[in-house]
Amino acid sequence: METKEYLEGVKEGWICVEDELVKLFAKIKKVQEKYSPFITINEDQNPKKLNKGLVFGLPISVKDNICTKGLRTTAGSKILHNYIPPFDAFVTKVLKDEGGLIIGKTAMDEFGHGTFSTNCAFCVPKNPWDTRRSCGGSSGGAACLTIALDFPHIALAESTGGSISCPASFTGTVGITPTYGRVSRWGLISYANSLDKIGVIGKCVYDVAFLLSIIAGYDEMDSTSLDLNKEDYTSYLVNEVKGMKIGVPREYLGEGVDERIKKTVWSGIKMLETLGAEVEECQLPHTDIALPSYYIIAMAETSTNLAKFCGIRYGLESRIMKEGFNEYFTKVRTRGFGEETKRRIILGTYARMTGYRNRYYLKAMKARTLVIEDFKRAFKKYDVLIAPTMPILPPKFSEIEALEPVQVYMLDILTVPPNLAGIPMISIPCGFIQGLPVGMHVMADHLEEKNILRVAYTFEQNTKYHERMPVGV
Amino acid sequence: MSVRIGVEVHVQLKTKSKLFCSCSTEYRDKEPNTVVCPICLGFPGTRPKINKKALDFAILIAKALECRILPKIFFSRKSYLYPDLAKNFQITQYEMPLARDGFLNININGKEKRIRIKRLHLEEDPAKLVHIGGDITTAEYVLVDYNRSGVPLCEIVTEPDFNNPKEVRMFLTKLSTILEYLNVYDSSLEGSMRVDANISVDDGERVEIKNMTGFGKIEKALNYEIVRQRHILRCGGKVKRETRGFDESQGITRSLREKELEEDYGYIFEPDLTVVKISDEWKERISKGMPELPDRRAQRFVEEYGLNHYQAKVIIYSGKAMADFFEECCSLFDNPRMIARWIITDLLKCLNYQGVPIDKSRMTPNLFVDFLRLISEGKITERLGKEMIKEISMSGEHPEEYLKRKNLLKDKVDVKKAVEKVLEKNKKAVLDYRLGKVKALEFLVGEVLKETRMVADPIEVRKLIKASVAQ
Repeated sequence: METKEYLEGVKEGWICVEDELVKLFAKIKKVQEKYSPFITINEDQNPKKLNKGLVFGLPISVKDNICTKGLRTTAGSKILHNYIPPFDAFVTKVLKDEGGLIIGKTAMDEFGHGTFSTNCAFCVPKNPWDTRRSCGGSSGGAACLTIALDFPHIALAESTGGSISCPASFTGTVGITPTYGRVSRWGLISYANSLDKIGVIGKCVYDVAFLLSIIAGYDEMDSTSLDLNKEDYTSYLVNEVKGMKIGVPREYLGEGVDERIKKTVWSGIKMLETLGAEVEECQLPHTDIALPSYYIIAMAETSTNLAKFCGIRYGLESRIMKEGFNEYFTKVRTRGFGEETKRRIILGTYARMTGYRNRYYLKAMKARTLVIEDFKRAFKKYDVLIAPTMPILPPKFSEIEALEPVQVYMLDILTVPPNLAGIPMISIPCGFIQGLPVGMHVMADHLEEKNILRVAYTFEQNTKYHERMPVGV
Repeated sequence: MSVRIGVEVHVQLKTKSKLFCSCSTEYRDKEPNTVVCPICLGFPGTRPKINKKALDFAILIAKALECRILPKIFFSRKSYLYPDLAKNFQITQYEMPLARDGFLNININGKEKRIRIKRLHLEEDPAKLVHIGGDITTAEYVLVDYNRSGVPLCEIVTEPDFNNPKEVRMFLTKLSTILEYLNVYDSSLEGSMRVDANISVDDGERVEIKNMTGFGKIEKALNYEIVRQRHILRCGGKVKRETRGFDESQGITRSLREKELEEDYGYIFEPDLTVVKISDEWKERISKGMPELPDRRAQRFVEEYGLNHYQAKVIIYSGKAMADFFEECCSLFDNPRMIARWIITDLLKCLNYQGVPIDKSRMTPNLFVDFLRLISEGKITERLGKEMIKEISMSGEHPEEYLKRKNLLKDKVDVKKAVEKVLEKNKKAVLDYRLGKVKALEFLVGEVLKETRMVADPIEVRKLIKASVAQ
């Protein structure tokens, strides 16, 4: 059943949420056993108390770096294994007020530090298309659950450098990352504040446009939140791309991208052309500096964000307090952080230290401006840019183990530039290779979500890839 | 021998709420960790939200110190792991402070000396550490009280323009008075102005003394430090670059740690706050609220009330409340010079002795003026006045009541009778005086004054004695 129909049913009374809950949690348990998308399942529901709002009775999962009052929130880290937030994030507050059912907290790479959700301290979600493979990351649990749960459901996810697009691509779901500042970050446990964006993963374009309409909006508690009028993003969902100008950046279809993926994405672009869009190849010359800039900025910011986790006020503690506070901090942080997180703290600290600050951190900030200018120039000409979301198909866990950290970082090469620029993007399924989904990435200028939604919706309506389900789900 | 000192002054701004959250800034005398919220405790997912009032205050201070205010400012994260920082970084300003290049003149032996202000910025106050069972170096354990965490601080950094600790003291006194005039800070609160000083002797390494309060104590600490550094140099040693703390109980400075370089704090831009544009309109609005500053007011005291420069300065730099007190007295009693004289020679000493500032004292302008009137109308002598003010400034008793209670009213005291009594008692002195010893007359006058408990007027007494002896 589609979300729209389900919500109507609940509203009109021919679907009873109380009855549905039993079915829902039975399914959730099965999904968890098979694919483990959840860090925490929230069975403590009281459907009588739900507000009769816009998402009345709709199951919503929340990525575990978004605070939920009274419900454990770990950000995928052992250092927060017992953390119960005393307040709701802006987005969870809004969704609760609108009658949403918060069904649980989804798995993620620790603090968003990863591309495969394998850096999660609690569980690693498995790809429902092939359980030997990864769902992508860092919002892997959200994407996994979206494709695996045979029940109306929408997932709250978050992207810093591609953490929504990547898992959406690997699971054949739709993931939207809005313009930086569209959605309040109040209550989001920061990875890299200047890059973090809360977005949505859903089964179809309608679902993500619908939920984005509810969570987007100004919030005075986040100084970077944009003070704009509310929009109904579902109103942009028209099956029509005639006259739209599509740019295809050459740099995104070069070396390092799986040839089969290139072919699949190109055929998707050609299809949009046959529907009346104008397609042209273009260039984003600073693409090569985006990746190093992103990692320097993200790691510099994360190394300061994570300093607060030291076992004093919340989270993991140590009972032995004989030595000074330095030794105590070291003990707690050594035990509490995973390997990749430690790597990023060390690299990030290094990038902002004397002698390196100019060479790395400040230079990366300047490079970021160049990347933004690339996009700005392109969007003077094109309504959207289209590229593959990921350069590879979802890899096997055994293959991931063999990768060096730098090789993993390189896989973000296509999702990082738009994330660094803070522009909106959406990943939608555009075909299958050997039974594995391929994602197409549609990007637009700041605040032009309407363009990516229109292209994505038109593509979806004319292909129906989103209706394909993995065997066994 | 040359001494160079520069200071960093941290001033707690008296905004209603903290710099980045809505918690109250009135944390003193509250239960530890009760004036806190997830933001000032640095809970995951919280973000700072700038308090515009703190910016208003800082702009006002920058204007008063003749600084250049930057059109665009932003905040930075200064990282160091220490239990008094809720986030293990402090939100402060680094590359783009609120203001730069100002100055404040101080008066050295009648000459104006310009102290340059290098920069002025806003930052958050850390939490308070409570050392149990010792001081910072010897404590058994430490408790953290986050009530202070996030209180707005304005940091004012000078160039190393001071040549001795006395200049530092004068600068701080003047700065404190100006800040009071701006109504942005409360000098009566413990720790509301904290000072770090960098000091070097004979171009040696510079040593930082951290976290000092109290102008007198700061002067003492700096004097000690000069002696310490000179001693090292004289013995052929080298002064180490380090951070030291002042131990008030022993009056010495003690090494805290080797000084890290500024850049080791790994500053990055605070990504949760946006660039703040300080528009001309904003600056103009603040300028309109600029009150009369102390130097200007002192000049006015000279022109309007006929005080000399010394009198005007002493009253002005005894704090805003004292200058207000003076002006209120002038509105009640048209003898400004007498008011000024009595404030400077007597009232200030009394208050200082009692340790009470004028606005907390029982001495009101009405009381003081009524007291001065008694003198100017000749109802009491100045000598009696000097005794009396010590008591009434403490008790707040009305001067007339005081005289009645002590039976010191002039018309109740028979001076003639007292003269007769003294002359009768001191026949030897009377004889001496007759023989031409002037000192004997002074002695007799003194005796009569004592007899009348200072009520009698010495000039009148002298006349009476002369007349009586001549008969």
